[in-house]
Amino acid sequence: MSTALHATVRRAALVPLCTGALLVAAGLGVALLAPREATMGDTQRIVYVHVAVAWCSLVGLLAAAGTGLLYLLRRHLVWDHWAQTSAELGWLCATLTLITGAWWAKAAWGTWWTWEPRLTTAFILWCLYSGYLIARHSIEQADRRARLSAVFAIVGALDVPLVIAATRLFRGMHPVSPTMEPSMRLVLWLNVAGYSLLFAWLALQRRRQLECAEQLLSLESRLPTEPTRRGGAGARDVAHGWHA
Amino acid sequence: MVGQLWFMIHKDLVSEWRARHAWPAMFVLGAVVALLLSLQTDLPPREKSRMVAMLLWLAVYFAGMIAIDRSFAVEREDNCWEILRLYPVRASVVFLAKLVVNILALTAVEIVLVPLFIVLCDTPQLASPAALLPLILLANIGLAAVGTLLSAVTARIGRDNLLAILVLPLVTPVLVAAAEASRLVMDGDFGPLWSAWMRLLVSFGVIFVTAGAVLFEFVLED
Repeated sequence: MSTALHATVRRAALVPLCTGALLVAAGLGVALLAPREATMGDTQRIVYVHVAVAWCSLVGLLAAAGTGLLYLLRRHLVWDHWAQTSAELGWLCATLTLITGAWWAKAAWGTWWTWEPRLTTAFILWCLYSGYLIARHSIEQADRRARLSAVFAIVGALDVPLVIAATRLFRGMHPVSPTMEPSMRLVLWLNVAGYSLLFAWLALQRRRQLECAEQLLSLESRLPTEPTRRGGAGARDVAHGWHA
Repeated sequence: MVGQLWFMIHKDLVSEWRARHAWPAMFVLGAVVALLLSLQTDLPPREKSRMVAMLLWLAVYFAGMIAIDRSFAVEREDNCWEILRLYPVRASVVFLAKLVVNILALTAVEIVLVPLFIVLCDTPQLASPAALLPLILLANIGLAAVGTLLSAVTARIGRDNLLAILVLPLVTPVLVAAAEASRLVMDGDFGPLWSAWMRLLVSFGVIFVTAGAVLFEFVLED
């Protein structure tokens, strides 16, 4: 292997290694460092993961809107790939936020779900992501898909502060910045940093995957023969040299 | 600009008048929703005003979506987006014209639904009925702004039944604010909380009318 290739492999391995190390540290912090909460016991430890994924779900929507805006200004599909990546990961984080939140709520309030304003906000965020992804997958043409998805993501991001304002006016029972022990706060920040890095690393991987798929489809469309199949199967045929 | 806007509004109003077969569906859906929801309002007066206000705005939303979904029905069914682009007006003017028509459609729905809810739910007499007017206008602007923009998006996508899924989460702040402000009007409470909800409705309207006017150009292009 050449020196340049070695350097590339080392660089590529550095990000997942750092992410993995930070996540292990965060996990150990949750299990060993953070003290047992007096009233809720061990169930309170869900909060460390819950807050981290909730943060990532919000960042995902802002990233989808920001990269969508850049697509509208620059008209380069790479920004749309970033937008799709952010939205997919944001949807995953929003789903995890709802699951961990319901788990915590069962222990704290005795019910899996209540129409408490902050829970409702999380659910609305999940609905926004779901709507965005459903709309995206309904559009065949890449440019139109990128343009309309960008418009929806920007509108969604503008809506979030208003949803938060509405829920604050409504007043709920969800804890807002509760007092924490310094060790608890450290573990919380470790988790937020770890999950944020994981989000970024997964985003990089997914963006590369979308770019490769785009290149394969582009190559497939240049073939002189009449294509009988579309999408991934056709692209695979080209990669294996089976296409006549 | 005002002349162009009036021309576009007039065009859409004439078009809606000629296709008025869609109106009964809107009013009947609103009435059915009102009737079904009113069955659930056998509550003490204090809780009743909260429940009735929320149900009223849900009924307005569902009936109004029929009207808003029709905003770009002609462009979608006859595939005449090109004609819309050829009008010698800015995209923002097209958006504002569609917005005004949708606000009028929502007002028509409310003219039927508000009295119907008052009768069916046996609501307490309003302390100040005039206070409902600015509230209804602001809520209509918010609902119509998001609805018009996303109606264009879904019409460009060309898939049915997508509008309600996309709009409902976005207009939740409007529905909550309108319902809470309506409850306070019913209770005769015009304190700081009422002002806060009204400010939220104004903010929502300003943000989404501006966003719609700016972003509509990107929806309209081919």
